[in-house]
Amino acid sequence: MRKISILVLFVGLVWMAGFFMSAGKHEGPWKPTYLSFNIPAGWPKPPKDIFISNRLTEEGFQLGKKLFYDGRLSKDGNFACATCHQQYAAFANYDHDFSHGFNNAFTKRNAPPLFNLAWMPLLHWDGAINHLEVQPLGPITSTIEMAEQIDSVLFKLKKDSAYRRMFKAAFGDATINSQRLLKAIAQFTGTIISAGSKYDKVQRGEASFTPSEQNGYQLFKTKCSGCHPEPLFTDYSFRNNGLSVNKLLNDSGRMRITRDNKDSLKFKVPSLRNVAISFPYMHDGRFFSLGEVIDHYRTGIVTAQPSLDSLLKKRIPLTNMEKNNLIFFLHTLTDSTLTHNPRFAVH
Amino acid sequence: MNNTNKWLIVILAILLCQQVMAQNNQTQNNQGTITLSFIPNVAGKPLVLNDSSYTNPFDEIYQISKFRFYVSQVSAKDKQRSQKEKNSYHLIDAADPASLQFSFSLKPGKYNSIDFLLGVDSVRNFSGAQTGELDPVKNMFWTWNSGYVMLKLEGRSTASTALNNRIEYHIGGYSGAFNTIKKIHLDANFEIVAGKSVSLPIKTDINTLWQGAHDIRIAASPVCAIPCALAMQIADNYSKMFSIIK
Repeated sequence: MRKISILVLFVGLVWMAGFFMSAGKHEGPWKPTYLSFNIPAGWPKPPKDIFISNRLTEEGFQLGKKLFYDGRLSKDGNFACATCHQQYAAFANYDHDFSHGFNNAFTKRNAPPLFNLAWMPLLHWDGAINHLEVQPLGPITSTIEMAEQIDSVLFKLKKDSAYRRMFKAAFGDATINSQRLLKAIAQFTGTIISAGSKYDKVQRGEASFTPSEQNGYQLFKTKCSGCHPEPLFTDYSFRNNGLSVNKLLNDSGRMRITRDNKDSLKFKVPSLRNVAISFPYMHDGRFFSLGEVIDHYRTGIVTAQPSLDSLLKKRIPLTNMEKNNLIFFLHTLTDSTLTHNPRFAVH
Repeated sequence: MNNTNKWLIVILAILLCQQVMAQNNQTQNNQGTITLSFIPNVAGKPLVLNDSSYTNPFDEIYQISKFRFYVSQVSAKDKQRSQKEKNSYHLIDAADPASLQFSFSLKPGKYNSIDFLLGVDSVRNFSGAQTGELDPVKNMFWTWNSGYVMLKLEGRSTASTALNNRIEYHIGGYSGAFNTIKKIHLDANFEIVAGKSVSLPIKTDINTLWQGAHDIRIAASPVCAIPCALAMQIADNYSKMFSIIK
């Protein structure tokens, strides 16, 4: 009897082992290096976790980085994401009001810097894009930007053994499709975080402002933080800041998306982080210096526009001394740990 | 001996589990199948792309080069219950005969309706990169303003004032004031028998697009390619395009 029961036990164990092995059979040897998304101390959580269905891995990040820097995502090979989003400009397009696209075209809006995108509920100046993952579809397929089609991009990538290897490392098998392409790029762009400026060091007690910067910071808190609240230096709302309308562009901003007159001439409030290196400013890049921007708020706002933001009805009075101090403070938002970080740089 | 008994119970429990799992598989085999097949036509005339001419209720003549729409969240209902198709997303494309029909399994019994969304449910419009039927390479996802095109009709009409007399209706918008997702309810009495398949042919009349709740004239509106009031009106009209052929 005892022998029989041991035999039964043995058979049972073999069956169980077989069961567990078959359950694990489809997993294969794929072992990616999982990464965690680190929220800087004192920052709010992102409004939604964009990585909940796109689990961060080192392999996914590296694939996303390669794609970000690869001109093959464009029709003629000349335009990578990084062409208009340069690391030394905090991933804006340095010194360009409009960017160059396919066949010598100009874009119609200023390329924004890319950082802290995981906190941004809606992307683009008019909030047209509702998820970071689908954003690259815009520039890749726009005839005045990268002018390519997604299936053509996939065709090119599939021919490249390096990509087949990297897609496998990132996703477990060598399938290359649009979803994986987009998720990988989001792993790169979504983890570019800017939280290492002098301002941040001051907040952490690792540095101190000069008297001018300190004075500028106080002015910022009373005059600017209504739309640019810390620590992200934007509330991501859409507002009309009283720019005169460029008749050649006739850009109605947020209204283009919502079709609501109330949204006429409203654009997303940009973050002020890295503002000193991401000029020119505004949706159409009309101002090339911080001085011009502040002068706009002091004296240039077109107050007759019905959708003008209520905080700007009386413009923002500032003396010349205050203007200068404010500029000193804005320079403390430049994050060289972002612009010099080899993790985000092309090899 | 006590010890041996314990082990015997464990082994028996394992074998029992195995039995239950096998039974579950069998339950699936005990289901029947429903096949929905869409039959695109224009007021009863079969749809022939790029060839046949059709006349809308305002005597405007048009040809069709492209006709596609999304069907999602399909379910079959009887008085008590509703059975949903899993991962229920279908791009119906007149140019691809295989796409015009799809099947899913149902428990045996009598049903009295088929329900689905004409379009892609709102959540999938803002949940990032999708794949399969929802892959953006299908050219049904807007890149300038995130969201799916729920229905696409393209062609030409002598009544059109647009470039090359084209007509182009890309109907989309998934939220707020411009939600073009339509709940479709079709009365359908059918019985599912285990291991058997039932087919429901669904006449899909494109000519409903022009008239119904609103008059849509090609001369006035040859193009609609953004979420807007016109798109809502067109969607109101074409939401009546389905009827089950008895």
